[in-house]
Amino acid sequence: MHVIGVYPINSKILLCHECDLLIQNQEIAEGSKLECPRCGHVLYRQKHNTISKTLAYTITALFCFYPAVTESIMTLNMSGLSQQQSLLGGARVLMQEQYYLVAILTFMSSLLVPLLRLLLLFYVTLSISVNYYHSSLFWSFRLYHHIEEWGMLDVYMLGIIVSVVKLLSMAEIQPGFGLWAYAGLLLTSILATTSLNHHEVWSLLLKKKLLTKKSSGSNKQEICQ
Amino acid sequence: MISSKKANTQTSLNKEKLERELMTGKEAGLVLCTECHSIHHYISQVDLQCSRCGADLHQRKPNSLNRTWALLISSMILFIPANILTIMNVVYFGQDDPSTIIGGVILLLQMGSYSVAFVVFVASVLVPVFKMIGILMILLSLKYQINITDRQRIRMFRFIEFIGRWSMLDIFVISILAALVNINGVAVITAGNAATAFGCVVVLTMLAASSFDTRLLWDYNVAETNNCQQELEISHNE
Repeated sequence: MHVIGVYPINSKILLCHECDLLIQNQEIAEGSKLECPRCGHVLYRQKHNTISKTLAYTITALFCFYPAVTESIMTLNMSGLSQQQSLLGGARVLMQEQYYLVAILTFMSSLLVPLLRLLLLFYVTLSISVNYYHSSLFWSFRLYHHIEEWGMLDVYMLGIIVSVVKLLSMAEIQPGFGLWAYAGLLLTSILATTSLNHHEVWSLLLKKKLLTKKSSGSNKQEICQ
Repeated sequence: MISSKKANTQTSLNKEKLERELMTGKEAGLVLCTECHSIHHYISQVDLQCSRCGADLHQRKPNSLNRTWALLISSMILFIPANILTIMNVVYFGQDDPSTIIGGVILLLQMGSYSVAFVVFVASVLVPVFKMIGILMILLSLKYQINITDRQRIRMFRFIEFIGRWSMLDIFVISILAALVNINGVAVITAGNAATAFGCVVVLTMLAASSFDTRLLWDYNVAETNNCQQELEISHNE
């Protein structure tokens, strides 16, 4: 079996992700979206200043990340004794209790995947805005999409709220600094994802790729774009 | 505002035009890169790779239905121990108080926090059950060609995909409680075996949803769409 790389055909047509319908591409105004006429899937949204906005939110989220993980989320006061725990410490305790799968799941979806996604997004948006090109940008952005649904910052936040309610009958609870940092991290990472226009990033990356190829003169293949 | 309205009317105009020329990418000999949304010409019996991002190109996800069935059935099997075994054990002043998933919800109800009990019930009981039944219904409707309209099926599937992650809630609550409440002699909360089983259920159902290719829903209904197209053409000629 041999592998053939094929070049994308022109940008005048689109295919729907969810129902494979052939659709005519069209210019749409900023802030509006293009929908598939058959299944209603949103093909893309045109967003204002997508790269710089996403970069700004990503940097803010990365700043929030360290305190959110290492500072204590809440302090528990119970009959004179108190205990506080951070996100990282929580995963460690579960590991010690030998619930490896639960520990890994929690660690992955509340810490590792969100951090990795932020770093990948930071790398991609920063390189686009400073006009830097490297072939690793492509797999970075692909990986970013692949792990999208495994980052569960929002679900974890709800988990914190539910566990506070469960503990209220037993003990006194004080929110720690980590909780506020976590809320900030959640908010900014949601903003970063919503302000990102995938189509624009992909087309910018392709342009960069073609430019570097032309300047190096290594590849003479024509691209009908 | 004005410009977006204008764009909307343009899109609806285009809708009418498109409904007369329904054609899928597969029929046109094209393949969509699901990673970077670029479109390529399809060559059969060759492993294709996207020239833009390097992803493997497939017109439909390979073995999509088989994978989804396998993941769905394993998640259904694991759902039984997840509900029977204890998910959390609270030791409060030396007293053991193990609870199952439903037990935890009932405890919350007894405490009087109805809204949180409702949220936990939805996330850890309703959502997994709904997901498994929903995927099962979609798979069965494809297998036996049961008439549910495409719109209904795709809406159901989108809903399943959207709510899937939220059933991780119970796992997170347990991990937070187990980490935080760990004062020896006063109160210790430990996770139970059901937590592992339930975590597996959530992961497997998420994988089942992501391995399912939604485009198959339309492939099985090509005859129907052709009929629609003819009707549209007739009405247009009249």
